[in-house]
Amino acid sequence: MGEGPQAGAPRLPVLIVGGGPVGLSLGALLARYGIASRVIEADAAYCQGSRAICISRRSQEILGWVGADRPLNAKGLPWTGGRSYFRNQEVLHFTMPTEPTERFAPMVNIQQYFVEEYVHRAQDRHPGLCTVTWSTRAVATRPMADSVEVDIEGADGRRETLSAQWVVACDGARSAVRDHLGLSLEGTQYDGRYVIVDIEQESSRPVERLAWFDPPSNPGSTVLMHRQPDNVWRVDYQIRDGEDPVEAVRPDQVLPRVQSHLDMIGETAPWKPLWISAYGAKCLSLRSYRHGRVLFAGDAAHLVPIFGVRGLNSGLDDVGNLAWKLALVVDGASSDDLLDTYSSERVHATRENIAYAAKSTEFMAPPNFAFELMRQATLRLACVDPRVQSLINPRQSSQISYPVALPGVGFPGSDGGAALRPGEPAPEARVRTADDRTHLTQYFGGGFTALYFSDTGSIPVAATQLTLSSRQTVASLTTVRVARNGGTDAATVVDFMGEAWHRYGARDGTLYLVRPDGYVLACWSQPDWQAVAVVLGGILKRQALPNLRLQEGSGS
Amino acid sequence: MTDQDLDRCYTALSDALAAVGEEKASLLLATLSLSLIVKESDAKIVLDLIAQAGELART
Repeated sequence: MGEGPQAGAPRLPVLIVGGGPVGLSLGALLARYGIASRVIEADAAYCQGSRAICISRRSQEILGWVGADRPLNAKGLPWTGGRSYFRNQEVLHFTMPTEPTERFAPMVNIQQYFVEEYVHRAQDRHPGLCTVTWSTRAVATRPMADSVEVDIEGADGRRETLSAQWVVACDGARSAVRDHLGLSLEGTQYDGRYVIVDIEQESSRPVERLAWFDPPSNPGSTVLMHRQPDNVWRVDYQIRDGEDPVEAVRPDQVLPRVQSHLDMIGETAPWKPLWISAYGAKCLSLRSYRHGRVLFAGDAAHLVPIFGVRGLNSGLDDVGNLAWKLALVVDGASSDDLLDTYSSERVHATRENIAYAAKSTEFMAPPNFAFELMRQATLRLACVDPRVQSLINPRQSSQISYPVALPGVGFPGSDGGAALRPGEPAPEARVRTADDRTHLTQYFGGGFTALYFSDTGSIPVAATQLTLSSRQTVASLTTVRVARNGGTDAATVVDFMGEAWHRYGARDGTLYLVRPDGYVLACWSQPDWQAVAVVLGGILKRQALPNLRLQEGSGS
Repeated sequence: MTDQDLDRCYTALSDALAAVGEEKASLLLATLSLSLIVKESDAKIVLDLIAQAGELART
């Protein structure tokens, strides 16, 4: 048994178990919001092997709030589409939705350890708020009345007990915290298994997702390839029915198959293997991501098949959803009911992700003879009839809409006069600003944002920049006027390409209230500043709103 | 037919095949083909598609 928490010792606001990209991002985002946390990670350093490599546009946006988007985009390889082949014939060339004015590429390939490093470094922007302790694992988790005790064990075997107000388990697919609480994931597991191989080889090929069905190099198999920075290829291939998955990852089994495929596609430069692993597709989730004062995020909460890259990307979306809510609750600005909405919204997202990923899996790793037969037919027909090509599309990760603005919080909210409904992601748009920002989503990720679509309308002084808590930054409202023309100032951006007005379906006077994580909270066809105050009051405790007096017409 | 509808039909047919089992799968596909054939008024279209399917099945 370890040493007990010292009497009178200040409890940690938040203990994050697991220092992968999800746990580190949560620590960084909480630090941005002024909330102290400690991260413990069982491994001695950043992960080995490149692991999750495809970072979606939405994840790049969240990593932008964290402060890690610049190194990510400097190092990562952006891509917008891919090609699928049946034997030697191209049967699909897809592109993901994108515009030249976008802030981020639809997808960036990068090794996971780089993401971990950039996020960890970004924590230093808020010194003293997030501490990461390596080589330390959680060995017991005890929920108490108003805290959680966690016994931790360091590399030297020394144990101590930490007491935290909140524990967030980001400790991955084999979550220790999940076991401590006696919880288990529920769902389905697919039989088809894939081997993952990272190799180093110089190549001048464009960055695309490449897939081969039944290639001459490996008849009957499916092979996927992705490029990563530093001349690294990710190669995935499906192992044969009945093949022993343990045997299948032995280098003498793996390397000839990789060589054969490289020969087939004409990549002749010398190469060496870096990392070999295996996986089977799983659709598993906890029923709830909140258990009292213990919350679950990332793979600790849910596992989705990798086809469509929803693993790490959904984990980062968990962080985006949880961080602002946890900051408000830790600060006492909101009641802890707000954390129930984290669970219900992200469980909903997992269901959607699983539905998409299961479809992809049924094609990429057919679960029975019927899906195998249909795939055989589709691939052959796609050679002569392009109308069936969409069935081969990998259905890449996209941002999930929530059913309502915030479950269980009653709003006078929207009057139905706007194009987007509450719960939908607030769209991106290229805008001109008075500072170095270039896109509308750069205003999200801090506090609440009101977007007021008007060329001439004025914003009440109180709504321009309203701070509702002196201790952290989420309990704040920033109003941005989105004008179609004219000049910019601190509170006015110019939608010079018309993207914002179009994508938000705005008319003169349309007002949107956007959550800190970039989701539409409410919208009105004409500005109703008092309704904004009421909506915020529904999320923040009344005592957190002493200076919220929004009167129209009093301001700039 | 939209991509989404095609996707739905693909999954439904796969599930139906799995439900009757491998032995009866050909019967299900033959029955379904006949049902779709009688919806088509132009026999030439049907005969061309049969010929195409025959060729693809040999690859």
